[in-house]
Amino acid sequence: MTVAAVTKRNLIAMAVGLAMTAAASAQTEVNIVAFAPGFAWANLFGPSGTEKTEELLAFEKKEGITVNMEYADEETARQKVLLDLVNGTGRYDLVMLGSDGAVQTYSYAGYLEPLDGYLDQAKDYFDPSGVYPQFLDANRVNGKLWALPYYSFGAGVIYRKDIFDKYGITEFPKTTEELEKALQTVKEGFAKDGVTNISVLTMRGAPGEEPSLDLAGFVYAFAGFPAWFEGGAVTPEEIKANKAKPIFTGAFRDGFETFVRWSREFGPPGIATHTWVDMMNIYGQGKAVVLMPSAINGFAALGGTENKDVKEHTAFAASPVGPSGKPIQSFWTFSVGISKFSKDKEAAYKVLAFLTGKQSMEAFASQIGWPYNTFPEITHGPVLSAKWPKETLDTVEESYETADPHYFPYIPELNEFMDRIGTAASEAISGGATVDEVLANLQTWAEDRMTRAGYYK
Amino acid sequence: MLRDWRLRFVAPAILALAMVVFLPTGYLFWMSVTHWVVTDPDIYFAGIDNFSGLIDTHDFWNAWRVTLAYLTLSSALMLALSLGLALCLAEARSARVLRVLVVMPLVIPPVVAGFTWRFLLNSEMGFIGAFLLPSIGVRTSMLADPVGALFSVVIADVWSRTPFMFLIFLAALQGIPKDYYEAARVDGAGVVQEFHFITLPMLKGAIVMALLFRVIDAINTFELIYVMTKGGPGRATQTLSLFGWKVAFQGFDLGRSAALGVMMLAITLICAMIVFNRFLKVRE
Repeated sequence: MTVAAVTKRNLIAMAVGLAMTAAASAQTEVNIVAFAPGFAWANLFGPSGTEKTEELLAFEKKEGITVNMEYADEETARQKVLLDLVNGTGRYDLVMLGSDGAVQTYSYAGYLEPLDGYLDQAKDYFDPSGVYPQFLDANRVNGKLWALPYYSFGAGVIYRKDIFDKYGITEFPKTTEELEKALQTVKEGFAKDGVTNISVLTMRGAPGEEPSLDLAGFVYAFAGFPAWFEGGAVTPEEIKANKAKPIFTGAFRDGFETFVRWSREFGPPGIATHTWVDMMNIYGQGKAVVLMPSAINGFAALGGTENKDVKEHTAFAASPVGPSGKPIQSFWTFSVGISKFSKDKEAAYKVLAFLTGKQSMEAFASQIGWPYNTFPEITHGPVLSAKWPKETLDTVEESYETADPHYFPYIPELNEFMDRIGTAASEAISGGATVDEVLANLQTWAEDRMTRAGYYK
Repeated sequence: MLRDWRLRFVAPAILALAMVVFLPTGYLFWMSVTHWVVTDPDIYFAGIDNFSGLIDTHDFWNAWRVTLAYLTLSSALMLALSLGLALCLAEARSARVLRVLVVMPLVIPPVVAGFTWRFLLNSEMGFIGAFLLPSIGVRTSMLADPVGALFSVVIADVWSRTPFMFLIFLAALQGIPKDYYEAARVDGAGVVQEFHFITLPMLKGAIVMALLFRVIDAINTFELIYVMTKGGPGRATQTLSLFGWKVAFQGFDLGRSAALGVMMLAITLICAMIVFNRFLKVRE
């Protein structure tokens, strides 16, 4: 064989190899950004968030899609989503959202792909009829669906039954008035018994949007409606039509004031800086009697605590009802949506359906074990039924059914409002200003903000 | 101009600098005069609206006050501490180990320093917050009290950044000729007089430089405060840099956030000019 022939053969082999590589790399890629490695989709990306499990590899092979996950801490992930969408780079096909601001802001801004037209696809992964409708509703803006829910929760109370029993409270209070009396009873009991290292209540009061989900729930329970704008207007159209001004110094006040007062009177000294992590840790260490209204943090505490009393004597109760007759809300979905700038939205939806479908939620139930799930079938399925009493699962399910997912306005400016309201609460809880002072500032800011956004033209 | 052979060698560096400094700065200036809010599909030239809108807000002036308090407190403490340490550790050979210990906080990233101090001050489990302070009768959570939180971030910043000032003063002290002190002693000068008439005047340049770095650093400090308090409780530790972050990433108002960045740049330049003019004029 001549040198020329050998060279020619090598060149052909190289060309074929390159063509095959090109073909392989032409496989569709779907990029995702999210937070919580080792928690969110641990069944797919492993405890470190950097692996690809057999389950994920099987999906990739079957669908011809390569799934690339990028995890970051929550704040960083949110910033990556913002920068990617604002600049239209299309780096991420699927973006992590939340039903407390991101879904609203980005859908109104036109950065998300509406999902209604995709729901009939990939039904073997995600069947919308099998999901609690409230979790889908939480991701609807102006009637259109913009994201699918992953792990989600409703309101409730986690508390130490042994301590309640000790001070003569044998049944968990059903109203906020009764609960306040109960908290006071426990507080007085602690003072009499010289207990100084346990707080009666743990909630979250850190500046920013942290407390707002729960605080908005208090406002709703006291006013009986989302008392942010005149007439309870909750959409931009309603606000514009009625020129509905903010009412932070009006019907909003009672729920806000109660949240602040309970935090100051019954909460631990550092509550003005506490996040959900602090809530979880404080309860798990046995340093708080009641955790509310985002009870999911209590269940998270149970999963990690070594405290015997906390493990054996924790009970779950429905969220108490306010003076309006409506329960204190705390409702949230960790949602995922498709970026408008995704280059292959069909593939992106397939991955989204896989990530939020029954298979993923079954894995979530097995690995995490919380009584919260987006599928009724899994809530009452063998995994969760083996772990939790039926009464607990029924009460958790009832918290979804009695929830009003839209207990705060669904406006593009929601994220900023949540941040402002939470910061105002933190300021009042810390004693930096009175409730009326912070609400007056909030009112002034809100009126200016809505005027600038053109609502009152 | 490029006929000058020296400029030809420097040109690539200038080009690189232009790309990583001047272009982003130019883009910042453009954004600062643009109405660009994520919730609003319209992006348009806004003139000085972003600037006037910021100045009109209660939050801007609150952030300005907090920044001024933070800058003043931390700079004063840092100056006194670093100068004192430098004077004590400048000469003695046995102080070499101590000098290393003083400098150690400098190698710890501000984020790590912030987390460390946050845990130390935690009123439920921190060594300072849950044990030391209650033992002397202080039961308030430092980070949940508006004054306590500001004081806490100042202390954390002083701990983290004092070594840098210390090194500047140490180097400057070692550059002062010994003859001056010998001559002063011969004339009967005491320690205080030596410090007042020799050390301080000779250190003036170093003090100017140290303060200048400190001012720039303090105005731009973000990570330490963000990790410790996120600007809270409420807005008690919300400096201009944290306020700017909130405007961009919580309020989604990119134009206003850029305007605040331009204002911070201007404030830094003005402070630098004041420091240079005042201290160097006196020296002349």
